[in-house]
Amino acid sequence: MSSDNPPPAAGQSSGQSSGPTPAQMRIDPPKRSFWRNLSLVWLVPILALIVSLGIAWQTYAERGVTVEISFLNASGVRPGETTIRYRDVVIGAVEDVRFTSDLARVLVTASIDRDLANTLPADAQFWVVQPEVSARGITGLSTVLSGVYIEASFTPQADGEARTFVGMDSAPLAREGQQGTRITLRTRDANRISEGAPILFHGIEVGHIEAPRLILSGDSVVFDAFIMAPHDRRLTTATRFWDTSGFTVSLGTGGLSLNVGNLAALVTGGIAFDTIFSGGAPLNSGYVFDLFPDENAARQSLFTGVGANAVEMAIEFEGSVNGLAVGSPVRFRGLRVGEVRAIGAVLVDEGRRQGVRLRTTVALDPQALGLPVEAGAERTIDFLRDAVAEGLRAQLATSSLFTAALVIELAELPEAAPATIEQREDGMIVLPSVISDLPDFTATAEGVLERINALPVEDLMNQAITLMASIEAVVSSEGTRQAPDAALALIEDIRALVGGEDTQALPGELRGGLAEVRGIVEELRLRGAVDRLVTVLDSADTIAANAAAASGEIPALVDELRALVARANGVEIEELARAATRLVDSTDRLIGSDEMRELPPALAAALAEVSQVLAALREGEAIENVNRTLASTRSAAESVAQAMESLPDLSQRLERLVAQADGLIAAYGARSDFNTEAMQVMREFRDTARAVTQLARAIERNPNSLLIGR
Amino acid sequence: MTSAQENDSARSLTARQAGLVGCHSCGRVHPMGTPRCSRCGAELHSRMPGSLQKVWAWLFAGIVVYVPANIYPMLLTTSFGATTENTIIGGAVELMHYGSYGVALIVFVASVMIPVGKFLAIGYLALVVDPGSRLGGRLRHGQDLHGRQRLFEVVEFIGRWSMIDVFVVAILSALVQLDFAATINPGIAAVSFSLSVAFTMLAALSFDPRLIWDAEQDLN
Repeated sequence: MSSDNPPPAAGQSSGQSSGPTPAQMRIDPPKRSFWRNLSLVWLVPILALIVSLGIAWQTYAERGVTVEISFLNASGVRPGETTIRYRDVVIGAVEDVRFTSDLARVLVTASIDRDLANTLPADAQFWVVQPEVSARGITGLSTVLSGVYIEASFTPQADGEARTFVGMDSAPLAREGQQGTRITLRTRDANRISEGAPILFHGIEVGHIEAPRLILSGDSVVFDAFIMAPHDRRLTTATRFWDTSGFTVSLGTGGLSLNVGNLAALVTGGIAFDTIFSGGAPLNSGYVFDLFPDENAARQSLFTGVGANAVEMAIEFEGSVNGLAVGSPVRFRGLRVGEVRAIGAVLVDEGRRQGVRLRTTVALDPQALGLPVEAGAERTIDFLRDAVAEGLRAQLATSSLFTAALVIELAELPEAAPATIEQREDGMIVLPSVISDLPDFTATAEGVLERINALPVEDLMNQAITLMASIEAVVSSEGTRQAPDAALALIEDIRALVGGEDTQALPGELRGGLAEVRGIVEELRLRGAVDRLVTVLDSADTIAANAAAASGEIPALVDELRALVARANGVEIEELARAATRLVDSTDRLIGSDEMRELPPALAAALAEVSQVLAALREGEAIENVNRTLASTRSAAESVAQAMESLPDLSQRLERLVAQADGLIAAYGARSDFNTEAMQVMREFRDTARAVTQLARAIERNPNSLLIGR
Repeated sequence: MTSAQENDSARSLTARQAGLVGCHSCGRVHPMGTPRCSRCGAELHSRMPGSLQKVWAWLFAGIVVYVPANIYPMLLTTSFGATTENTIIGGAVELMHYGSYGVALIVFVASVMIPVGKFLAIGYLALVVDPGSRLGGRLRHGQDLHGRQRLFEVVEFIGRWSMIDVFVVAILSALVQLDFAATINPGIAAVSFSLSVAFTMLAALSFDPRLIWDAEQDLN
């Protein structure tokens, strides 16, 4: 106030100069009101105050709500730096990291935006996002540089009051709010499945699985799986899951087939599903499915409801049940209606002594038998009782020709001995069984093969070789060697004789002799091997056709067949051919030698022997043998050809047989060396015979020519 | 403070006592009561009207905005996705932790001691020169008018150097914009602090140093 009011200094000074004057009136200027006095500058602090208070209020209003999250470990979480994100938007930050009182977990104190914190439900999920490299890709790469963050996932709730949460060890498979169905899969062995493996539907990824875990009560492995929303509609009780991990290699009639799933499934394992049959009921979350090892197993598992309303029964067998195992199917008219649950032996009182019978416990599915879904044990047993009265019996059957595995067949045998369903003291209901005729069939098939094997093909060969050897021995014997010289000399004489004038009269008779020889040869030809060879060839063709039909699918067998034929050729045929060649050579030498004139008496014997051989040949003993053999081979081949359709594994043996037969046929066949050589030999013999006849005639006419040399 | 000085000042005649008023802008002397300078046309006041009131207002505003300047972060350092916030005191403490005692001292002196000292100094001067203030009267024991004048000069001089922190923040935020690797942004405190400095400077400016010497006359 002092600054604005000019002090009355001037008045004082003037009063001093003009002497005493009446006391000057003290005039105060009109007092300005406090408000008028107030400077506008005061607005500044007021404004500053308002703004500061505003900022403070805003800070207060926006300050986070402190929540506590407990983690098993908090790797990389740092107070003040680690953020909390929801859908990748920062909603808070970690303020403090400490331990729980027992040091078992890490307590992370974080402040979260008030708006969001008020919608946090008690089951909100928190997990630490870290960089992760897996077969399915790389996630959390941004956290490599920025450090980890905590991701939150929850379904907002109007009045979320929860402030303490239990953090997850790893990211959940299904985010909160993601629509879908959670199911449980059960398997025996999870070594091909790892956490996060995809679930595929026709190759499209529609879900994941969580970490497999062992169940406490058993030896199986279960894992939760999540199928995302639109696809979970495909799940019914008729859905089957199977393992598509890795790749499968199968060798079938279509050749080698390699089946590779997608890359992620190759590495982490994968599961595919499909609805195998219609009529499945919709299911709730948490439904338990069995995981089948492959698609075929899944598709063949029409057996539903095991454990739900399956009816357990016992079947007692007298013979061995080797090949029957727990899980082996029970079939009714080829349809799987149940499975073997247990196999054991029970003591049965049979009159005085006790006998051991093998009891198989089977579970039968009423639904598979055609009974309504709600049919219980009573209904099923009634149904079976009626069926047993009409001849239904259990018997063992092979599941396939290639394995020794057995199945239980519920066969309808109206002529079976009457039997009923029995109820034992231990409450077990026993279905009557009959002894299976299965082993007989195997015996029959083996018998056919044994008989084929026992055909005397080898003996035949040996006999033929022996014949050749004896012919050769005859031809190459010392006496025979000398015979040609004499024979040649004789022939010279004969030529001279024939060339002589007195032999001119001979031609007529000679012609008759030739005709006779021709007749012999003709007869030989008519009755000889040709027709039979044709027959043989026909049957060989049939065999070859059968063999070709059987072996068309198995080219490897053809190679083996070739090898066998080659072997057969290499052994018997060559030996035959060699023997024949040796024979022919010897014969040539015999005929080509100069000393043919000296015809010894041995020649007659030799000729007689040869003619015996020829006669034997002509009368067809050997050929009959061959024909018989071939006929039986052919019938055998026909039966084999019939069996071939159901017995592809027998074809190898058949091939061997065919190879042997073929070798034999080749040895006697039209194109073989033996045949031509034999023909030549025969021709030579004919010539010789002609010459001998001429000689005989000449001697008959002119006996003294033997003495005088003319 | 010495008796000789007091005698000197007691003997001296002020312009006001002489019925004169000097122009603020050109220095020409006019008789008291002249509303405007006849030379430059500036308003003539023997003492600045409402000076103390303005001083108090600016001082108060400066103190008000000094509070958020210390509470809120001065620097927002974002490095590889992680954001660090530093308040003035927090930054100084952190520097001390890292062993940079010298830098910490500079920051502390420039950002805390000087502003607070200025508030105290201006408040003291405003109280002391106000004859109507009882608190001022109690503080007014020794009439060291020269000391007050020196204090005022120091406050006025130092005002412009209080902006060190703000300069640092401004330069860093302009230069360090390396996107993901490192980014520095000014926080609310930077604005508050610069406002606070500005307000205290205005407070010092509003103070009419002639008021200091009025006390001399009052003594007489």
